[in-house]
Amino acid sequence: MSKIDERSVWEKIADQLRSRSMWMLHYCTGCGAVELPPSMTSRFDMERLGMGPMATPRQADIFLITGYLSAKTLRRVIYTYEKMADPKYVIGFGSCTINGGIYYDSYSTINRLDYYIPVDLYIAGCMPRPEAILNAFNQLMEMIRKGEANGWKRYKENYEWYKQNQLRSLGEVIVHDEFHE
Amino acid sequence: MTAVRVAQVLLTAFFFGLTFEGIGRKVTARIQKRYGPPWYQNFIDVFKTLTKHGWTHGWIFDFGVLMALGGVIATLSFVPLGNLVAFPGLDNFFVIVYLFTVGALGMAMGMVGTGNPWASIGVARALTLMLGYEVPYLIVITSMLYFYKTSNISNIIAAQGEIWNIFRFPIGALVAFISLQGMLGKEPFEAPIAPAEIASGPMVELSAKYMGLLMLMNTFMEFVEISLFVDFFLGGGTYFVFLLKYLVVWILAVMISAVLPRFRIEQAVAFYWTVPILLAFLQAFLVINGWVF
Amino acid sequence: MTSFTNNIQEFFERLKTLYNVELSEIDSKQFKIIAEPDKILPLLAYLKEIGYSHLSILTCVDWIEQKKFELVYILFNWSNGITFLVSTFIDRDKPVFYTVKDMWPTAEYYERDVHEFFGVEFEGNENCKKPMILELWNDLPPLRKDFDPLKYSKEHYPDREYEKDAIHEARIVRGDIRGDVNG
Repeated sequence: MSKIDERSVWEKIADQLRSRSMWMLHYCTGCGAVELPPSMTSRFDMERLGMGPMATPRQADIFLITGYLSAKTLRRVIYTYEKMADPKYVIGFGSCTINGGIYYDSYSTINRLDYYIPVDLYIAGCMPRPEAILNAFNQLMEMIRKGEANGWKRYKENYEWYKQNQLRSLGEVIVHDEFHE
Repeated sequence: MTAVRVAQVLLTAFFFGLTFEGIGRKVTARIQKRYGPPWYQNFIDVFKTLTKHGWTHGWIFDFGVLMALGGVIATLSFVPLGNLVAFPGLDNFFVIVYLFTVGALGMAMGMVGTGNPWASIGVARALTLMLGYEVPYLIVITSMLYFYKTSNISNIIAAQGEIWNIFRFPIGALVAFISLQGMLGKEPFEAPIAPAEIASGPMVELSAKYMGLLMLMNTFMEFVEISLFVDFFLGGGTYFVFLLKYLVVWILAVMISAVLPRFRIEQAVAFYWTVPILLAFLQAFLVINGWVF
Repeated sequence: MTSFTNNIQEFFERLKTLYNVELSEIDSKQFKIIAEPDKILPLLAYLKEIGYSHLSILTCVDWIEQKKFELVYILFNWSNGITFLVSTFIDRDKPVFYTVKDMWPTAEYYERDVHEFFGVEFEGNENCKKPMILELWNDLPPLRKDFDPLKYSKEHYPDREYEKDAIHEARIVRGDIRGDVNG
């Protein structure tokens, strides 16, 4: 058992609580956002698992990245991820976050999300149905209880590696935007 | 003994406040044909936020959050829960109204201290909405205080006897309930929070324990507001009768909020300053002329 | 309806004599007009004057074999619902054209977009070279046909390495190519 998996008793209790109250920030710039309303509303009702959408990264626990992710969006995703409070969990949603999907040869979309930020769980499919989403959330709850969802620790430990990868693909992570400067 | 009673009031607000919020979420879910979270979901939420590692945004922010929670706790300890009064003789309406602003101002200060524009917009909306609902509410309450010639809430509870004020002042009770909906920040008066519009407004930069403390503060604030309504209009009662009445009022408010959309802030103020304020003046007119059941 | 069609035939004749354009019909409400580069500004000004005042989009097509860029201005008339695709061909090796941002202020952003994705410069639009959609781009404009997106993607966005080439095996299973399937 490595250092990263070690948990104190308090951490174990805290993980029980965290797994039952997951607030989600869904970053739906790609496709796939349309799969979330059915999983939130009466058909699948994710609120019975204690999950709910949250408005800002500060309050959120889960970062759900749906669909393809362009390089421009990746900068904002990194901003958002670093704004979230520890412990934070990332779910890559759809095959585009896994290997680029049908955008594998696009000049503007990344091919692999876990190269830039740690991903705890991937949901494969194009698009995953709400059943798959609910299954993934159950899996994530199980992982949090067992202490396996420790992407946020890995990000701290391998920060240099992630930063170097981000810089390699993006050139610069800082956003320069003519409309906001 | 005072310390025990204060502890009893605070623990009641903590335990039953969060439980009733959980029940409210369940009721909303059932109205929307969902299963809904368990009744203890809000306890998990609060304790989970306390386990997270968040950020502060400077000492103004820290101080604002503490002032908000502390102010609301101070207010709460003066509110009589039926016949449970922490400070007998001091449960005066004006003391409560005066202390109530401490919490609200603490929240406004701390949230503006984050520097996030959404927070400023949310606080500005909350204060604007306050202008809307406070005026009709205070007209009704002052006419009631005029009728009973006392501002002591326990005395008012005792004076109601068998006939609750909701039957004596039906118009006033209606106005107070509409104002209560705005105080609770429930739809249709949800503009200060508005998650999809201004990213939950004042709470936009709150992470981890700050979020938890603000959630507790919100629960306590709701407890103060609904308790005042129950004391003024539903005749207080013993501890458990009081909680039962509280639950009925709360679920009614939740059910109304579950089926309504959101007013824009200027629509909300315009609404409060037309129908409820006219009804409040009518009630005051009736009381001054002695036309009370 | 017939008078309208007659009118439009007359109108096309006038356009042909005035601006020496080629006309083709896409459907009953859409027509394509191809004009010489030096006639395009007066033509657009004329069309705007007579009611085709909505510039839906300005876009570009790369005809790499003819060594031409085709600039397409899509104009819409709100009173009769007719769309014109006004297009012109400019030299691909020296892609410079004139701005229309004084006629349509929105065109400034369309021109920046076309500059970013095709490298066409617009004289008179001083913001034309500012980056807009792509951030920190340092390669060929990406929608040119001689730009290889797959190569760029491989260089910049590392892919996941699989132990097994599933697509290759799927082709073998389907019978497209011969070979062995492991496992």
